Amino acid sequence: MRFLVVDDSSTMRRIIINTLNKLGHQDVLEAGNGREGIERLSNVGSVDLIITDWNMPEMSGIDFIRTLRAMDNHKNLPVLMVTTNAAKDDIVQAMEAGVNHYIVKPFTPDTFKDKIQAAMTK
Amino acid sequence: MEAQMLAVLTRVTKEVFETMVFAPVEALPPCDTLPPASGPGVIGTISFAGSSSGVVSFAASLESAREIAGGMLGMSPAEVQDELPDAVGEITNMIAGSFRTQMADEAGAWTISTPNVTIGSDLSVRHVGAVARTVCPFVFRGHRIFVELVLTDPTRLPHAERQEARAC
Ligand SMILES: [Mg+2]
Repeated sequence: MRFLVVDDSSTMRRIIINTLNKLGHQDVLEAGNGREGIERLSNVGSVDLIITDWNMPEMSGIDFIRTLRAMDNHKNLPVLMVTTNAAKDDIVQAMEAGVNHYIVKPFTPDTFKDKIQAAMTK
Repeated sequence: MEAQMLAVLTRVTKEVFETMVFAPVEALPPCDTLPPASGPGVIGTISFAGSSSGVVSFAASLESAREIAGGMLGMSPAEVQDELPDAVGEITNMIAGSFRTQMADEAGAWTISTPNVTIGSDLSVRHVGAVARTVCPFVFRGHRIFVELVLTDPTRLPHAERQEARAC
């Protein structure tokens, strides 16, 4: 399986990639914001799961997902959002944009592993 | 309002350290101004705006910041080099972002900025205009680290309600 991790924080990308590696996944692409995420996708064709932050410069996670959902080839690509934004309105906005799975920071490593595994199987 | 904000800020900071740094912090009583920093240190800041506006900042010595970054990344503190500014930014982001989420039911969801990080020596922060500053000190592995709430909304100056200054 191939993953795309989109986060402006290199620390968060590293934490996410370490978790994916522990779960046995080595094929992970990285991007620092939504615009770079779109570029990576157009370079490689597609991935099996996108893990994205919300608050990022240039293109936020929400705008990134809206852009994906408007593209024929990425309309149904599974997306896990990793963010501190967890007010009721945030979750409604994320679901409307097309997020499939949601994990709220901060999280324990076990919760994160469970979320990633759930996102891969559904 | 201020007491509730500080209780939430303290709770989310503890949670961030337990889950993401794998090191618990102990909360000390809130106080008014950051003690003068001596030696190398870091400050991460995030501004928020909405029903209240202000800044949440995180301050630590460079040594503590290295330990925190190492805990987050699974590295030894001595190995932490270029990773440091981003890790401080992300700690600040998680504290301020969780604070925003937890306050949203009461205060509505604020918009928050991306983090700014300063690394230097003898750092101090000054604010222009009327602000109310409250510092939440914590003990992290025997050293004090600080989370500060600065309210820039001139209609709420919670310090006016208080009689005595509280030294940090
Ligand atoms: Mg971010």
